[in-house]
Amino acid sequence: MSSETILQSMFSAMLVVTVIRVTTPILLASLGGLISDLVGVTNIALEGIMLSAALAGVVASAASGSSLVGLVVGVLVGALLALTLAYFHLSLGADCILTGLAINMLAAGGTVFVLYSLTRDKAFSTGLKSISLPSVQIPLLEKVPFIGEIISGHNIMTYIAFVLVPIVSFFLYHTKPGIHLRGVGENPKAAEAVGVNVGRIRYGALVLSGVLAALGGINLSMGYLNLFVKDMTAGRGFIALAAVYLGGRMPLGTMYAALLFGLADALASQLGSLNIPPQFVLSIPYLTTVVALVVYSVQRRKRGASAISAARRRGATDRTKDGCRVG
Amino acid sequence: MRLHKSLRMVRRLGRSVAIAAAILLVVWVVVLAVSKEPANAMKALLVGSISRINRFGNWMEESITLTFAGLAVCLVFQANQFSIGAEGQLYLGALAAGTVGLALSGLAKPIHTALAFCAAGAAGFIWGAIPGFLKAHYRANEIVTTLMLNNIAIQIYNFILIRYLKPPTAGYPVSRYLPASALFPKIIPGTRVSLTLILSIAAVVVLYYMLYRSTFGYEIRMVGLNERYAHYIGVDVKRIIVLSMAASGVLAGLAGACLVQGVHRRLIIGISPGYGFDGILVSLLARNNPVAIPFAALFYGYLRTGADVMESNSDVARELVVIIQALTILLVTARTLVPPFMRRERGKVQ
Repeated sequence: MSSETILQSMFSAMLVVTVIRVTTPILLASLGGLISDLVGVTNIALEGIMLSAALAGVVASAASGSSLVGLVVGVLVGALLALTLAYFHLSLGADCILTGLAINMLAAGGTVFVLYSLTRDKAFSTGLKSISLPSVQIPLLEKVPFIGEIISGHNIMTYIAFVLVPIVSFFLYHTKPGIHLRGVGENPKAAEAVGVNVGRIRYGALVLSGVLAALGGINLSMGYLNLFVKDMTAGRGFIALAAVYLGGRMPLGTMYAALLFGLADALASQLGSLNIPPQFVLSIPYLTTVVALVVYSVQRRKRGASAISAARRRGATDRTKDGCRVG
Repeated sequence: MRLHKSLRMVRRLGRSVAIAAAILLVVWVVVLAVSKEPANAMKALLVGSISRINRFGNWMEESITLTFAGLAVCLVFQANQFSIGAEGQLYLGALAAGTVGLALSGLAKPIHTALAFCAAGAAGFIWGAIPGFLKAHYRANEIVTTLMLNNIAIQIYNFILIRYLKPPTAGYPVSRYLPASALFPKIIPGTRVSLTLILSIAAVVVLYYMLYRSTFGYEIRMVGLNERYAHYIGVDVKRIIVLSMAASGVLAGLAGACLVQGVHRRLIIGISPGYGFDGILVSLLARNNPVAIPFAALFYGYLRTGADVMESNSDVARELVVIIQALTILLVTARTLVPPFMRRERGKVQ
């Protein structure tokens, strides 16, 4: 194959479809990561929440014969894990990173343990007749060449993910709870002083972030694939967290970053024919994130001359002391 | 003063026993729920590690790797740097030890072994220094960078293993076995326990003296207690951040070398099933005290080996032990026994 035909095949409608497909779970989880980050807690447990919800959805849908029940149970499990994180971190004073790591371990071991106890299989849920969430054909639009191919026919969770971006944005910047949420993350003491219930906002934001991550996990096992596979999140929760930083802690930026990671993932599987090692392409998102972090902090320091950002920096120190946020 | 200190020790011990009892209770309930032969499963979990000489050997091997990983985490935590990059450093250490072991030949045994071991330490040093440098000079948060660098390290490991070290005839991604000259001699007959056992104890002693008897260690602990204060008393904080993370990388790299030069004797995909993260648990259990690390590693290694026995002898999956690990972290960190890096972040919310 000449490199030209390879390039053509890479930038076809098929590639766009693949990118959208692999971006979906990352995007959902990263919206969750964004919300918890804005409230001042780095939710490192996204990975474990996704994984647990992925299994819970499969098990519940197989047991009930309904994908909707699977969805609901998956979301509940995600919310419960997020609540655990919130309880240990906010109420018992445990460090949020260590608690998050513990939840990730609990999920990694627990999903295999539960799967094995149910099916005597450690790696795949093929023994469970789970039901996936439906794909959506958009009437009329699906007939339009190229655009129809790209936009129509995805799993319903993909549409939910992309519709959630403006919704989350509206929630964060134009609704009272959203503004309170950012206020608590920005300066908890000030928020408290004006009568915001800081504890309730933090609990709520963490549970919300768990729900969003759970949707990402459910998408993996009930849409992206039609079964649960051991460790199927494969670091997507961490990538989602990276997307939050790369996206500058904004909903739209987070979506672009998630799409970038999706693109790298999609290209990694196609570059084999160009004799570029897939490991190299798979490393790009992580490298990008490290570079983005450095650029972000250098820029922040450059702006440091002005009084406003000095105040912001002070705020930033307060935040890290009070909440549990990185970056 | 001394009485007070020993009272505190007793109280701490009491707490640990209470946590252990609570976890055992949870485990018992879980096993009762999923197993048709719960007594058998629990027995395997609790005494499996000492039921046979080879299992005892597995226990020791686990504990050696966990000791190195725990020491690595303990060192950065003492400096109040929240690096969780031990996993990636361990992978690159394993890769370096394996590469030197395979690439060189004709060397005398102790020299070849030592070279491979040192190469692992050097690889870990570099992979630890990178996030340290980014933290010290660009304030790039070490939690995120080390998480990312873990993934990159594993990709590098896979790339070199598959592209260069896998013999063309091998059906699955493994390297050749290392030549005998690069392997640590076995010291317990009937097991794979090697000289790394002695080295791990030596590492404990060295780290203890470094932390509590040297200027470098004093500076690390000062930075860990209070960066600003450390700066005022003349500590080069940036240098300490970089070096503490790099030194931690050395220990994590050596953990990787133990796996290659002692346990597996070749490179395999997924050589570490998360030892770097297990090191965090070990260090937490040891309250970041290097002398307590081997005991925490022995405790946790005992459970892991027992869990393997449990899986082969009963109908309960070995992943039970990961659940124990997670519960332990939750319970240990939620209590008042908080190392300094957590103290600043203790809950403020009513």
